[in-house]
Amino acid sequence: MIKKLYFGQYRHRETMLHSLDPRLKIIYVLVLSILAFLSKSMNDMIVFSSFILLCVLLAKIDVKTIIKGLRSFYFIFAFLFLMYLMFSPNQLRQGLVAIWRFLMFILISMILTFTTPISGLVTAIEKLSSPLKIFGIRPRNIATTVSIAIRFIPVMFVNFERMRESMISRLADFRKMNHIKLVVSLMLHKMLKSASNLSDAMYSRLYNEGIEINKILKLKEYDYVSIVFVALFILLIY
Amino acid sequence: MIKAKNIYFRYEEKFILKNISLEIEEGSFTALIGANGSGKTTLAKHFNGLVVPDKGSVFVNGIDTKKDSLNARKNVGFVFQNFEDQMVYSVVEEDVGFGLENLEYSYDKLKSVVDETLKKLRIGHLAKVNVNALSQGQKQLVALAGVLAMNPKCIVFDEPTTNLDEKNKKNILDIIKYLNRKDKITIILVTNMLGELKYADEVIVLKSGSVIFNGKKSRLNKKIIKGAGLDD
Ligand SMILES: Nc1ncnc2c1ncn2[C@@H]1O[C@H](COP(=O)(O)OP(=O)(O)OP(=O)(O)O)[C@@H](O)[C@H]1O
Ligand SMILES: [Mg+2]
Repeated sequence: MIKKLYFGQYRHRETMLHSLDPRLKIIYVLVLSILAFLSKSMNDMIVFSSFILLCVLLAKIDVKTIIKGLRSFYFIFAFLFLMYLMFSPNQLRQGLVAIWRFLMFILISMILTFTTPISGLVTAIEKLSSPLKIFGIRPRNIATTVSIAIRFIPVMFVNFERMRESMISRLADFRKMNHIKLVVSLMLHKMLKSASNLSDAMYSRLYNEGIEINKILKLKEYDYVSIVFVALFILLIY
Repeated sequence: MIKAKNIYFRYEEKFILKNISLEIEEGSFTALIGANGSGKTTLAKHFNGLVVPDKGSVFVNGIDTKKDSLNARKNVGFVFQNFEDQMVYSVVEEDVGFGLENLEYSYDKLKSVVDETLKKLRIGHLAKVNVNALSQGQKQLVALAGVLAMNPKCIVFDEPTTNLDEKNKKNILDIIKYLNRKDKITIILVTNMLGELKYADEVIVLKSGSVIFNGKKSRLNKKIIKGAGLDD
């Protein structure tokens, strides 16, 4: 059985990072990720890491959550390390920096998902993509698509699992091509059915792609403070 | 409130609804009952303009659903048979606000209506929960909250008790009754279970796409029920 049914590790807390404007957070994540890739020297990395560590503390993320979140990456870390060890042992130092950088990269995204509810992310994506309007793309459609994907991808896994279990109970063999075909076509059928149900429900609730959501995103004082803070930090590194 | 005039509807060559005329009074509680495949869901979807008739017309508060389905939908909310598929957002309070976003509520107003609605259905504690983590009974209530928040004059419930245990069945039926008696919301309850006629005043019986009975519950008799294939 699939245990983890949903994305996002958002935990509700009262911290500065939680109440920061999600648009700014997305921009910071982009900027910081670029910075992480640009910092080459050990010194840069140490300054950078302390900053990330500070953010982790500010967001009140407990170590256990981080370790759990990183679990699926250990293999990649080990792999990277082995690659350096085997092919360029004299560059081991750089290898460590590479892994370290990668770790920072993951931590940055974790801080974002930990402190921002999906709705905040979606609204921010919608707002940030509003310049696309000049190309005739409707931000609301993008945002809704993202939300629906987030909502239904886990449901799809559950459905797949249910179908697989019920087929296996009746002795299906997934090494057989026609059984694989069957499960794929059943899944497609189920998805189309859900899509049609969902669109009925959305129209019943007056879905309107033209509107702009009124979840007002207004920069507050500490949002401005944070801009100054991040800008200073960037200057500090370079 | 809702008026159907000689409606016909078909999928490909097969007529699913045949010459249906009926009227649903404002404030009434109507049960729409029929065997599986008799066309209940299809008929119900005509009431908010999701489906429009091939022949004939449906009026909601005098508005022809063929001409202005949006206004029909503002008046008539719909809680679907498959409530799994009617939630758009992953977090309960956000999903309940979906319709209000479409009505262009301001954020503060939206939030307060959502909170109020959740509280009314006694699921305030679920506000921040992921919808995929809800039980069937809770999902049903969240689906209802999303509709109720929009303050419709009429709500269609399509087989709201399927997949629920006895306690949740009773809970949702009691809520439906409350909405009708206290909030004066017109209710159309689609069902195939005779036991659920308890709260209804009016009954419409469908049999393979035709109305075979339409009137006060007290006039319903065994013969009609048997004719609709609903007796046990
Ligand atoms: N999209 C479709 N395409 C073709 N036929 C359909 C479609 N949807 C429904 N039907 C057919 O229309 C008939 C009536 O369906 P409908 O869902 O309205 O019945 P129902 O009374 O709600 O049944 P149930 O109790 O199973 O919910 C059925 O015979 C069904 O097979
Ligand atoms: Mg049905």
